[in-house]
Amino acid sequence: MTAARVGIGGPVGSGKTALIEVMLGHLARAGIQVAVITNDLVTDEDAERLRRGGRLPPERILAVQAGACPHTVIREDPTLNMAAADRLDRQFPGLELILIESGGDNLASTFSPDLVDYWLFVIDVAGGDDIPRKKGPGILQASLLVINKADLAPHVGVDFPAMMAEARAVRGGRAVLPAVCRRDEGIAEIVALLRREVLFR
Amino acid sequence: MIAGAGQPAGTGAAPDMRLLRALHFADSAFPSGGFAFSWGLETLLAEGRADGRNLRGWIAAELRGRWHQFDRVALAGGFWHSGVALLAWDRIVDESIAAEGARLDSLRAGAALLASARAIGLAVDPAFAEASDDRADAGHFPVVQGHVLAIAGLDLPAALAVSATTAARGLSSAAVRLGRSGAISMQKDLLALMPLIADLAAAPPDRDTLPGSFAPLSDIALMRPAAGRLFVN
Ligand SMILES: Nc1nc2c(ncn2[C@@H]2O[C@H](COP(=O)(O)OP(=O)(O)OP(=O)(O)O)[C@@H](O)[C@H]2O)c(=O)[nH]1
Ligand SMILES: [Mg+2]
Repeated sequence: MTAARVGIGGPVGSGKTALIEVMLGHLARAGIQVAVITNDLVTDEDAERLRRGGRLPPERILAVQAGACPHTVIREDPTLNMAAADRLDRQFPGLELILIESGGDNLASTFSPDLVDYWLFVIDVAGGDDIPRKKGPGILQASLLVINKADLAPHVGVDFPAMMAEARAVRGGRAVLPAVCRRDEGIAEIVALLRREVLFR
Repeated sequence: MIAGAGQPAGTGAAPDMRLLRALHFADSAFPSGGFAFSWGLETLLAEGRADGRNLRGWIAAELRGRWHQFDRVALAGGFWHSGVALLAWDRIVDESIAAEGARLDSLRAGAALLASARAIGLAVDPAFAEASDDRADAGHFPVVQGHVLAIAGLDLPAALAVSATTAARGLSSAAVRLGRSGAISMQKDLLALMPLIADLAAAPPDRDTLPGSFAPLSDIALMRPAAGRLFVN
């Protein structure tokens, strides 16, 4: 048995690492064995931040550098990530879930089906309520769209319920969930969906 | 499985199949993780020790120094050996890489190519997986490349040509992605380098040649820490 591989993509700063940080707490409480791979552009910043967070033993967090190209390493040539995930599987028998954070990219980024079983695309309200309307492949094709930073909606003039409705409409009814990663709001629902659709437990 | 793969190299395959296989494995779209490595070029361009306008000369020097003396020899061993002998050869290659960073990068690139080869259904030697441990995967990039091209049915001259071509293209496309060379100038450079590549790849090493390398500038660049770099190295 190998662990399920779940991608987390989305534009720069939308809250991908923040989402992983809060999800790790929920997953630990459910007793699910997790590891994380980050794809930072230049540094190991996100991997270091997750290690400092202390929710996972540091050796369960691997950094893969993306060679100036965050979308290549998750789509056109995902082999560095595949090799890192194979290593985690070998190193931690019983591992159930590997979360792979893409380096911040644009709305056209998608994960290769060779790399992941399921993937989340994270956008945030501060990027503008027109983002769902722009229908990038990330927005349309992700298994789950997360709209993060709902707390900021009043400050950036976004009608949050309207944004959610528009996102659901462009995705033809496929999953869209709201979140405030900073306050751990909406995360239980995201984890419940992953358990149902990916982990089957 | 790839049609015809696994046959002894150089027998049974029509010449056109050999050409098609070489084209397939030399394709820049063949996933092998290579795009993420600049093998020291990023650092040297940033420091002005390599000149974006004379990449052709730089790549030629890398091909003559590093590729011909190190990669070509390491690849041939990977091509010839299997099982225990393959791992023993990989150890020899491991010990010949002085810089720890470069050693780990070569293992990382080798692991990516192995992952790719397994995923497309090639019968990769199980010795590589058995010898991997917590810290690193067994299999240096050129050794793995030799092994993968052998089991994919290429002959050694074709494997060497694929390796030299992909090495030259890897360096020039890193320069393009760094904004230091253009996509068109890159193609002019690669065409101009073709006779050199043909020449360097023509003769396989003797069976008792050990991998060495003489590319002092890029060797030093590979020892630098990674801070602020776009490429793995
Ligand atoms: N107000 C608010 N801020 C948030 C929320 N989630 C994340 N942030 C902030 O948004 C910023 C970016 O968060 P990250 O988690 O680093 O985003 P990222 O998508 O991982 O960024 P890259 O990996 O650089 O693309 C940080 O300052 C977070 O504190 C949220 O729900 N509400
Ligand atoms: Mg991040």
